[in-house]
Amino acid sequence: MSDWTIATLARAIAARKISPVEATQEHLARIERLDGRIRAFITVDAEGALATARALEAELVAGRSRGPLHGVPLAHKDLCHVPGLPTSCGTLTREYFTSPFECTAVARLREAGAVMLGKLNMAELAMGPFGDNAHHGDVQNPRREGHCAGGSSSGSAAAVAAGFALAALGSDTGGSIRLPAACCGVVGLKPTYGRVSRAGAMPLSWSLDHMGPLTRTVADAATVLGIIAGYDPRDATSSRRGVPYYERTLETPIAGLRVGVAENYYFDGITDEMAGAVHAALRAIEGLGAVVTQVRLPDPQPLVDVSNVISRSESATIHSRVLRDRPHELQAAVRARLDTGFHISAHDYLQALRLRGRFTRAFVREVFGEVDLLVLPVIPEPAPALEAVKAGTADEIVARMGRFSRLTRPFNGLGLPALALPCGALSDSRPLALQIVGRPFDEATVLRLGHAYQRG
Amino acid sequence: MGNPERLVGAEVANLAAAIERAAADLAMTEEPAGFTVALEGEDEAGEPRE
Repeated sequence: MSDWTIATLARAIAARKISPVEATQEHLARIERLDGRIRAFITVDAEGALATARALEAELVAGRSRGPLHGVPLAHKDLCHVPGLPTSCGTLTREYFTSPFECTAVARLREAGAVMLGKLNMAELAMGPFGDNAHHGDVQNPRREGHCAGGSSSGSAAAVAAGFALAALGSDTGGSIRLPAACCGVVGLKPTYGRVSRAGAMPLSWSLDHMGPLTRTVADAATVLGIIAGYDPRDATSSRRGVPYYERTLETPIAGLRVGVAENYYFDGITDEMAGAVHAALRAIEGLGAVVTQVRLPDPQPLVDVSNVISRSESATIHSRVLRDRPHELQAAVRARLDTGFHISAHDYLQALRLRGRFTRAFVREVFGEVDLLVLPVIPEPAPALEAVKAGTADEIVARMGRFSRLTRPFNGLGLPALALPCGALSDSRPLALQIVGRPFDEATVLRLGHAYQRG
Repeated sequence: MGNPERLVGAEVANLAAAIERAAADLAMTEEPAGFTVALEGEDEAGEPRE
């Protein structure tokens, strides 16, 4: 079952070849067998999952199906509030975050028939691109032991890659869905800012946080997005735009789509293997009929500075209590990043918010006037060794974090939809990956290109 | 390891300088909500589900 997708399992459940209880039991057994080594989970809710699966099985027997997620086992990053379960957010505090209501994205998946297996490991306070965690154990990359799973949604990517769950929710403030997806060889989608509600999930930076799915295929990402997207009155930034039927346009041919490849910044300093894999993918995309052209993108550095001012200010505000009352509990690099936020002036914070609108307007006008999509690398190198990313002083680690997330961070500032998907692997099994970026709220075209490439 | 306070001060100073450079010609009409307008101002994409 570790190779199944949502689509194949949904068909098997609908055809009564496997029941929701059997699917849940098989996934729980796999977690029991392998997660002691991988450390993808913080909380496994076997009892709750089996109770849900039994209820869903009874619905099927009664002739009722909730759709493509009916009886499908999923798991979610441990920053989603789920009533009855603790939410540590990767900290030492068992119940670090709580909310008056269930995480909206989780609730929508539950209502669509998903079985929730438990809560997934993550970087402490979602601050870290490598997936190491001093409190809950470093998440091992299922493709290559001893190497990082990426972060901050480390457990989400590892769980999907290891066959523990068919899909997982993650959050992305600077790349935290796409980086682990790229490291673990799975698909990760950061939707447009406002497309998916963040209500009921721990905030790290109100202006930059996004929720999205990690899955094995682009088609599965489209399925999950269709369920979790849409207006939510509990999230003030949630868009009122209608949600398209993403699955319906997946098969539309990509012939004629204008695909831009960055001639500046995004290929600077990345490994030859990573650059080669992305260029090979671009040739394959061209072979499918897309028109690939070089484009010069606006210099991302001012946008990265703006994003850093915003994220540092907001995260220090949100997490000031733990930094003030229990700073010794925080990992040194997390403490260092939070501390910076206390020293940024209100003037600079507001200027940064004003500049963000200008940069986004200019980027959309200049870039998407020429092309429909961008294809770029996600990570500058394949998943590095865990010991290597943890070495050095807090300042050295913070600088290393910034370098590893420099290809994803600009699209949080711009709020644009961005999809990470595998495009090969090294001989030692570490995955290579590409990133597809689209116009605001045009996840449909991003997913269409990703699906066409993945299907070949 | 250097003095932590000095390192934080240097990072904050660098960020402040970057913001000052970029914001030199911001018009008074540019407000934080301009970001949402930049995203939502695009034509609606795809067939509405709702």
